[in-house]
Amino acid sequence: MINAYDLQKGFQREGAKRGEEPVLAVSSVSFTAADGRITGLLGPNGAGKSTSLRMLATLIRPDSGSASIDGHDIVGDVLGVRQQLGFMPHNAGIYPRLTARENIRYYARLCGLSANDAKQRVGELIEQLGMHDFADRRATGFSQGQKTKVALARALVHRPQTLMLDEPTNGLDVMATRGLREIIRDLANAGHCILFSSHIMQEVSALCDHIAIISEGQIVMADSLEGILTKTGETDLEDAFVRAIGLEPCPPPIASTNGTQ
Amino acid sequence: MKFLIVTVKEIVDNFRDRQTLFYALLFGPVLVPLLLGGSLIASFKQFSIDFDQVSELAIAHSERAPNLVKFLYQNNIDVIDAPVNIELSVHSGDELIVLEIDEDYSIALREGRAAPLTLHVNDANKDSAKAARRISTLLDVYKRTLDSLRMQHRGIDPAIFNSLDVVENDVSVDGANGQLLASLLPFLYIMSMIMGGFYLAIDTTAGERERFSLEPLLSLPLSRRDVVLGKFVATLCFVSLSALLTVVSIYLLFRLFPVELMRGQVRFDGPTISRAFLLASPLLPFISALLMTIAAFTRSVKEAQTYLGLLMVIPMAPFFLLQFFTLRATVASMALPMLSQYQLLESAVLGKSIPTLHIALSVVGTLGGAIILLWVAQRLYSQERIIS
Repeated sequence: MINAYDLQKGFQREGAKRGEEPVLAVSSVSFTAADGRITGLLGPNGAGKSTSLRMLATLIRPDSGSASIDGHDIVGDVLGVRQQLGFMPHNAGIYPRLTARENIRYYARLCGLSANDAKQRVGELIEQLGMHDFADRRATGFSQGQKTKVALARALVHRPQTLMLDEPTNGLDVMATRGLREIIRDLANAGHCILFSSHIMQEVSALCDHIAIISEGQIVMADSLEGILTKTGETDLEDAFVRAIGLEPCPPPIASTNGTQ
Repeated sequence: MKFLIVTVKEIVDNFRDRQTLFYALLFGPVLVPLLLGGSLIASFKQFSIDFDQVSELAIAHSERAPNLVKFLYQNNIDVIDAPVNIELSVHSGDELIVLEIDEDYSIALREGRAAPLTLHVNDANKDSAKAARRISTLLDVYKRTLDSLRMQHRGIDPAIFNSLDVVENDVSVDGANGQLLASLLPFLYIMSMIMGGFYLAIDTTAGERERFSLEPLLSLPLSRRDVVLGKFVATLCFVSLSALLTVVSIYLLFRLFPVELMRGQVRFDGPTISRAFLLASPLLPFISALLMTIAAFTRSVKEAQTYLGLLMVIPMAPFFLLQFFTLRATVASMALPMLSQYQLLESAVLGKSIPTLHIALSVVGTLGGAIILLWVAQRLYSQERIIS
């Protein structure tokens, strides 16, 4: 379960002079992603998707606002958040000189699994994600689909309740994308909370139960697909999206969503 | 103990990287000592003359100077016949030098004039110049003998011509040559340490960032301190491995070369080299931390290579500076990492006694530096810019 309330983050421009105002990458992000549901964070490139996910993953601190993952505050309880969260950033970032199995096992051990547990868990994930063919090959030369699977297995290795995927289908072919969708659907059905960022409409409409549209650092609309279509009076998500990002941003919800902290 | 998991992974990962292995196992420990030590010692051989070694000298018209030939023979020089075209053969290197006895030689000797001799030498050829130096030295001795004989013959005490009696009293334990060889050891140690950890430090920080693997790593439930410590220990392992291999290669290298030419001033025996390594060992964590901190500060592998490339100048700086200036070991210089090791190692190789205070200062100063650098590295890892 993810609760984000009015997150804001600015960055100093490269080569900025002293006292120069930071550029706001995220100005107001509030949304909720429930367990057992796939929530899509939909927005054009540069809208603030990755920055929002990085804040939730405790990699960067918000300038203001707050958020919690399964009740753990992203500023006050960093290790608690990380224990609950599996994060797959937008580049797979796997180690090319290690095999797929070694890549996953490394993360398992770092997450605190004993050598035996790690071995067993890595075996399970290789089975679950269908990685037998390349599990013991070094990752140099892996296809994008294989890399994504390894990265996903790494994110899942400590059995996190919440999973965040930053544009996971980037660079995947049709079959790999379909395979990944099935895996994500299975995880949601098993009760996990899944937050999925993308700029691809079909992707989001095909997969997500709930959609938060982000534009210029703000969540402009958050609802189910049907809800968004109804609100915008459009018949497909693309038109609805174009209309939504032209709208005034929706105000942050009342502070009660913040109560999980 | 999560940092050990990071350490083991980085070591396994980098043992599979040819570049890291080349620099850690071959470049620092083998290539640099061979190139530098080898050429330096070879040049020593060039300049030092072994008067006990028997060698041949081509003399044209040796029959004109039988006594000289006898003198040379007593001084380990075997006379052989000179080639017909003397200048050509010296120029082409067939003969290193040729001594030509002029026609007037014996007559001039008898008449008490200066007897003419010509030494043909090719100064552009180092071997020829070296051979000429040996013969000139011998001829000088022969000339002095003849001089004093002539004077005694005329009833003059030869001592009358010695108006000054200069005695040179060299109080330095080491000669200039010894100093150069002695400073080679700290240079090789420090160089191998830097080269040993160079690529690993880049790969585990700037490289990790460039491969985008740092972001998922830092989102795992482990503290930044574990990440920094793990990578530091991995770098330390490579730096130490490289330095230890250098100890072995330096030991083997100096077995091959004539340290006796240094007249016992410089020692490169096993105990001395090991002792020098111990004195240099506080540099292992210092250099590891330095490499890591610089690599963590940079934004890309290329930038890291540039900065760490500049770092290579640091071990060279004292090496060259100490050739031109004699820097006395003081309390202040002993607290400085690298400079203190230079001075301590030189003293060790030259067999000087080292005050315990100096060793203590060097250890404390260097380890203190390592701790500060590690602290800086951890600060860098805690900043957001590490992933941006």
